[in-house]
Amino acid sequence: MASPQRPSVVRRFLQLAWRNSVALTRVLRANPLSFVGFVLVAITLILTVIVVVHPSLVVPYGASQNTGVYQEPPTILHWPPSIAHPFGTDQGGRDIYSDVMLALPLDLGIGIGIAGTSVLIGGFLGLVAGFWDKPGTAGGATSTVIMRTTDVFLAFPSLILALAIVASIGRGVWAAFLAIQTTWWPFYVRLVRGEVLAVKHLPYVTAARAAGVGEGRILTRHVLRNVMDPIIVYFTLDIGTVLVTFSTISFVGAGIPFPGPVPEWGSMMSFYQGAYLLSQYWWYITFPALAIFMTALAYSLLGDGLRDVLDPRTRRALTQSVTTHEPPPEEPPLQAATTETSEEEEAVEETEMRS
Amino acid sequence: MIGTRPVLSVENLSVEYEVGAGRFQAVSDVSLVIPRGRVVGIVGETGCGKSTLAQAIPRLLPEPPAHIRSGKVIFQGTDLVKVPRSKLPLVRGTGIGMIFQEPLNSLNPAFRVFDQIAESVQMRHWRETGVLPSFHPGPTPFDYSRRPMPETADVLTHPIIPPGAKDEVTRRVSTMTRADYRKEVLDYLRLVRINDPETILNLFPHELSGGMRQRIMIAMALSQKPALLIADEPTSALDVTIQAQVLTLMKELIDEVHASILYISHDLGVVAETADDLGVMYAGRLVEFGPVAEIFESPRHPYTKSLLRSIPTRYKSDWPMPTIPGSVPNLSQLPRGCRFHPRCSLAKPICSREPPPPLRVMAPVTGDETPHKSACHYAEEVANLP
Repeated sequence: MASPQRPSVVRRFLQLAWRNSVALTRVLRANPLSFVGFVLVAITLILTVIVVVHPSLVVPYGASQNTGVYQEPPTILHWPPSIAHPFGTDQGGRDIYSDVMLALPLDLGIGIGIAGTSVLIGGFLGLVAGFWDKPGTAGGATSTVIMRTTDVFLAFPSLILALAIVASIGRGVWAAFLAIQTTWWPFYVRLVRGEVLAVKHLPYVTAARAAGVGEGRILTRHVLRNVMDPIIVYFTLDIGTVLVTFSTISFVGAGIPFPGPVPEWGSMMSFYQGAYLLSQYWWYITFPALAIFMTALAYSLLGDGLRDVLDPRTRRALTQSVTTHEPPPEEPPLQAATTETSEEEEAVEETEMRS
Repeated sequence: MIGTRPVLSVENLSVEYEVGAGRFQAVSDVSLVIPRGRVVGIVGETGCGKSTLAQAIPRLLPEPPAHIRSGKVIFQGTDLVKVPRSKLPLVRGTGIGMIFQEPLNSLNPAFRVFDQIAESVQMRHWRETGVLPSFHPGPTPFDYSRRPMPETADVLTHPIIPPGAKDEVTRRVSTMTRADYRKEVLDYLRLVRINDPETILNLFPHELSGGMRQRIMIAMALSQKPALLIADEPTSALDVTIQAQVLTLMKELIDEVHASILYISHDLGVVAETADDLGVMYAGRLVEFGPVAEIFESPRHPYTKSLLRSIPTRYKSDWPMPTIPGSVPNLSQLPRGCRFHPRCSLAKPICSREPPPPLRVMAPVTGDETPHKSACHYAEEVANLP
């Protein structure tokens, strides 16, 4: 049995989704660069899903697999890019294209995972620290503890910390993840706290308080909603930054070993740049680097466009600027109302006449 | 008796701001009574403590820097100064509604008009139906299941709830649907004379004009059906034509809603049109209080007299325009004695020595007019001057 409210909730969700998607497409059309970013992000996400679900659709070889075609002497193992091997092969006969593709889910997952976890941790702590910061109260003490802890973590140089963590628990995805995560969340605490401090003294928060809205609801509804936009934008821009940092950590040799079971762009670059001349075998290092560059760029461009979508002012302005050619909707209520009343009157008259 | 009890009585309220090392008393020793269904106006120059008074009543001032030094704010029998912070939301909104002077920034930019007003309707609805706790005037019963234990004297005056009784009260869940909220929000938009409310409903605040925003603010405040409405200069941020519209609306609503209103303004003309009783503030003090007509007819404080004289009208031809010499004193360096004496043309030696006794405004006995009082040593003489 569906409750009577159910259809309206579903319909409302669909309405909202539709309204927002319409706004999104219009904003993207108005801002070509963010459209490029959006397309690139869509491509990376689709490729990631394919690589995870059914890799053989886009990846001809396994991770760090010797393609085996060039085994007989005289052998040229490292082939420049060709149709069979779009990104070329390396000295071990490995197809670089396959490795770059197979690294996509890991690198993207790390980027979104670390930035996302940081938003959750930093967002929560930043909200609490920013909203209840009155000195001399329990809230003020909590705020101080949060901010000083944040300062301590901010003081760590992330690369050194990563090396230390890797030295103590060994190489691997989780070591690298932990190393970046430890130094990443404090930025979000500072960002969110700053936004909350700016928003919480604005007149509309006082107005909500004057309307009898409780502190908890003010925080989760009025403050959070107005703090969220810059954080979503920052999060999107940050995915690329995390990716670059993760690759750097792999590059200095603290991340994931290559060649190994799971390839990673940073460790691929690290491996190739140490052993081979860039001038002679340019394709070794170019393609993993290009992959990092494109992914980071895609999310940066998307974040830029999101800024416009999320702000109600620019969204409405953009929507209207694109839809000016549409005629304004007719306003039937008045006419409908008058006709209805006249019909009713007629009906009343009729009944009166009949009686 | 509840019928004659005033909605709000402010007794000897003093509010201080602690800024750096200094302390500034923005409101000192103000007493005020707002009877049921009456509109009380407060006028004064900029910086005389009007807005501080308005915000101190529902305790909206940020503490620190503001600090209620002494006094009582008795709203329907409860002293709000003693109410703990966590319980204040029960009083605000449904008890004391506010209209702010900045319609531009007092609406949340992220929400549509519907969401803004619907939240107010929802808060009232929740408090009415018991989804959220609500404010009950009068002595609250003691709950023995909670600490601290009451004192012996309190046991005699307060009803007692046996431990565990609270669990029997089942929380009712709101049955209002979105359509119900929409209907009610539309009603309030029509109440504040907004044309085409169905369209306005879906707009964001930045898409509305200043007058429209102020109407939305008024609709939000009214939708909670407050016992007391505090209007803190609702027209001063608007331009003159919109001011006139909003003022007309306020006047019509005062008749329609028949609420008790505290109307704060720096414009004597506005207050003359809206208020029943009028209080004049100067440098944090209430210097004169009485029925509007009587104050305009025969002011008993030199400050009020000079204020009235300096209202420009198109019939007056005397030039230069009469003004009050000097300016409002700095709150950190208040003159001794009467705070107005350096600017007062009638000042005598006693004025610089002794401050006049603060006004004690009493609730009018039913049917009577509010007594007309003035905090001046020579109130009678001033009244008899031409």
